[in-house]
Amino acid sequence: MRCVRPVTEKELAEALRAAAEEGERVEVRGAGSKRRMGGPVAEADVLIETTGMAGVRQYDPRDLTVSVEAGMKWRDFCALLEENRQMAPLDPPCAETGTVGGVVAANLSGPRRRLYGAARDMVIGMSYATVDGAVAQTGGMVVKNVAGLDIHKALIGSFGTLAVITVVNFKLAPQPEKTRSYALVFDSAAELAARRDAVLSGPLQPAAMDALNPAAARLAGLDGFCLLARAGGPEALLERYDRELQGARRYEGGQEMALWRAVEEFAPSQRFVVRAGHRLSDLRAVLESAPGACVSRAGTGVSWLGFDSAGEAEQWMSDASHAAWSRLLEWSDGPAGVYWPDPGPELEWMRKIKSAFDPSGILNPGRLYGRI
Amino acid sequence: MPDWKQELIRIVGERGYLDRPEDLRLYEYDGGVDKGRPEIVVFPRSAQDVSAIVKVSRRHGVPIVGRGAGTGLSGGAIARSGGILISFARMNRILEIDPFNERAVVEPGVVNLDISAAAAPYGYFFAPDPSSQRACTIGGNVAENAGGPHTLAYGVTANHVLGLEVVLPDGEILRTGGFWPDAAGYDLTGLITGSEGALCLVTKVIVRLMRKPESVETFLAIYDSVDDCATTVSEITARAITPAAVEMLDGSMLQMVEEAVHAGYPLGAAGVLLIELEGVREAVAEQAAQVRQACAACRAQEIRQARNEQERQLLWKGRKNAFGAIGRVSPFYYVHDGVVPRTKIAPTLRYIEDVSRRSGLAIGNIFHAGDGNMHPIILFDARRPGDIEKAQKAGFDILEYCVDSGGSITGEHGIGMEKIHLMDRQFSQESLEMMRRLKMTFDPARLFNPGKLLPERQPCPELRQPPVTPGGSLPC
Ligand SMILES: Cc1cc2nc3c(=O)[nH]c(=O)nc-3n(C[C@H](O)[C@H](O)[C@H](O)COP(=O)(O)OP(=O)(O)OC[C@H]3O[C@@H](n4cnc5c(N)ncnc54)[C@H](O)[C@@H]3O)c2cc1C
Repeated sequence: MRCVRPVTEKELAEALRAAAEEGERVEVRGAGSKRRMGGPVAEADVLIETTGMAGVRQYDPRDLTVSVEAGMKWRDFCALLEENRQMAPLDPPCAETGTVGGVVAANLSGPRRRLYGAARDMVIGMSYATVDGAVAQTGGMVVKNVAGLDIHKALIGSFGTLAVITVVNFKLAPQPEKTRSYALVFDSAAELAARRDAVLSGPLQPAAMDALNPAAARLAGLDGFCLLARAGGPEALLERYDRELQGARRYEGGQEMALWRAVEEFAPSQRFVVRAGHRLSDLRAVLESAPGACVSRAGTGVSWLGFDSAGEAEQWMSDASHAAWSRLLEWSDGPAGVYWPDPGPELEWMRKIKSAFDPSGILNPGRLYGRI
Repeated sequence: MPDWKQELIRIVGERGYLDRPEDLRLYEYDGGVDKGRPEIVVFPRSAQDVSAIVKVSRRHGVPIVGRGAGTGLSGGAIARSGGILISFARMNRILEIDPFNERAVVEPGVVNLDISAAAAPYGYFFAPDPSSQRACTIGGNVAENAGGPHTLAYGVTANHVLGLEVVLPDGEILRTGGFWPDAAGYDLTGLITGSEGALCLVTKVIVRLMRKPESVETFLAIYDSVDDCATTVSEITARAITPAAVEMLDGSMLQMVEEAVHAGYPLGAAGVLLIELEGVREAVAEQAAQVRQACAACRAQEIRQARNEQERQLLWKGRKNAFGAIGRVSPFYYVHDGVVPRTKIAPTLRYIEDVSRRSGLAIGNIFHAGDGNMHPIILFDARRPGDIEKAQKAGFDILEYCVDSGGSITGEHGIGMEKIHLMDRQFSQESLEMMRRLKMTFDPARLFNPGKLLPERQPCPELRQPPVTPGGSLPC
């Protein structure tokens, strides 16, 4: 397999065009940190890496927007924003090694999704290179913009199957003055869910609200069913949290960071991980259904369940009592039979979009759970 | 009567359509400046009706344009090429309010504000709040990806739509997204939101409901310099505060508004900011202090704070009823909608003043300053020869300035037919080509809202013309 590491968008687009002309299959990747995600990548003829494009295109902190090249490491991106006490709070797994383009292409987000949203809410524009050898733009550099079709919405989560993301523009958020996190421990999923309900229907608006079953809690140095909340703002606000979340264990500073790092890195720490989408009201049922460790975005309705083998994961996915939830074998340590059991009728339209972008299917074949 | 009309009438029934010229005339306009007459208006009651209507359109090659309340400001809901206008007025049921799961499921004809009204008893609301929210529909909001004053903190429609049911140009009924976010694969829901009825017609929407904030504080900061007023926006950002809304009115707008609305706005000021903070009590209190400091640092002459809900409503009254006020002063005005980075608001306002001077037309500004979403309002007199052309030129000059400043030709009103000829100012040919490819993937026969959103490959002479019909278009 030939490896190309372009340093400009033009060069990258040219490499794509050349591959398309030869009918060569292309694997696209950033740092390769998410090869275990999104289904296996088929053997390719050319590997295109984006890590040669890691610059800042535009950043005026007073605009609360930034434009960076896709190959920039997520960690470096966060450090850049940190200098101005700003953030793009996606909290993705593999944050140490992954690239900006990879985080967006895999549609990764983390605990603070509750308050700040996911990539679709933070990305305001992109550049991307197509198999025709073109470099195109979508969206722009302003926070409000309804001109044209938002192609970036389709590129988020596309796992490099449509085009290669070369530049990503984000809207940013200011960092809160201070943050503090809380862990409430319960004996049962039912008690946890009841407390979650009370918090969500009250006046507090925590940035994160995650639930851990006992097996997942152990990975974060806790035990029992744990409800984790993260608050940010002035001291007076945090004191309010102290009062309303009485009895919770409190985390600040390095301990707080370590706690959330463990939660964020949960999926990559497991051999096989099923992601389930569900109503908030199904939190308890999801937690109780997990044979192994389970982390739930309890204010969002998305949960991750760890398994030791593909077979166990597939068995869980095919269980009739889980049929109301969306199920996806998101991370896997080895081959599995089915990654995305129930794609539904949207899939046909996704395939049509795929052929509009990449008619001969040379880009990342196999990605998107073998379905595209 | 052509066959296709008879087929449509069989679907919607005798009372489900309009085709007399005097009725059709009412559907020639939206809130913008263009017009075009449909050949029939149909009122489906279900997605199945919509699907059947779309199949007729497809079989006979007749264009089809969706319509909500017709408050759009870019000509989106106008049957530019004749054909079928499909009104969602009778698909206006709220199907489900589920506060526990923070969701509502609604039909497209539901009026924006009615969602919040239905959620209010549970302490929830629907965040996108276009100034037209008493009239505009959720279907129109989804099609335009509508915003509003409070999108500064809460985001635009796309951030609050989780799932859709749509009818595609081949008549298929498709569900996208769902009750929970982050489905695998391409985000069709996100792609369709903002597609102006050019990819599909929306027949059901799953939206996010948000918990009503515990505390709200509203300020009016008064300035004797427009520059200071505009600079406050980035000063607030620099202090790491995200207000729920930051709206600006310049001196000429203040005068017009105050004379008509009596909101208590200062008459002599060069500009004011209307700033609203929302959230948990303790956070709002802290931010309120910061906002006061930011305004003072930018030389605000005076900062008023609403002491109760009545005072708050009064402050908003001026903002929300501004457009009736303009109508009293000038029978004709043209509202524009462009975006610049927040730090470029002051120079953009200076440029607008320049354009006003050059064209000899008064231009007022009342806009969503917090996200740089400018709404210059150009006053003219259609009875004076040459004024219409001057007003159009002034508007397009301002939009080009927005693009050159790193911004956009539209922040919320959409491209429609109004701005189609400006798309290639903002996007490269390569970028437009990819959008066209997507459009063709969905709508190969190009029957869905033709002549909107995307310019043809060869700019045809007709589309090169900016819109011509002047009128009292209502801004936001
Ligand atoms: C006084 C005033 C203030 C305003 N303030 C704001 C504001 O603050 N923010 C803002 O964003 N806009 C504002 N607008 C513009 C307008 O209200 C919005 O664009 C609104 O979303 C349009 O909704 P509507 O139901 O009137 O849609 P219409 O005008 O009927 O249609 C708009 C577009 O949506 C399409 N459409 C309608 N229904 C469907 C459907 N079911 N499926 C597919 N396509 C459909 C139409 O084809 C058309 O392209 C304002 C307008 C006025 C008159």
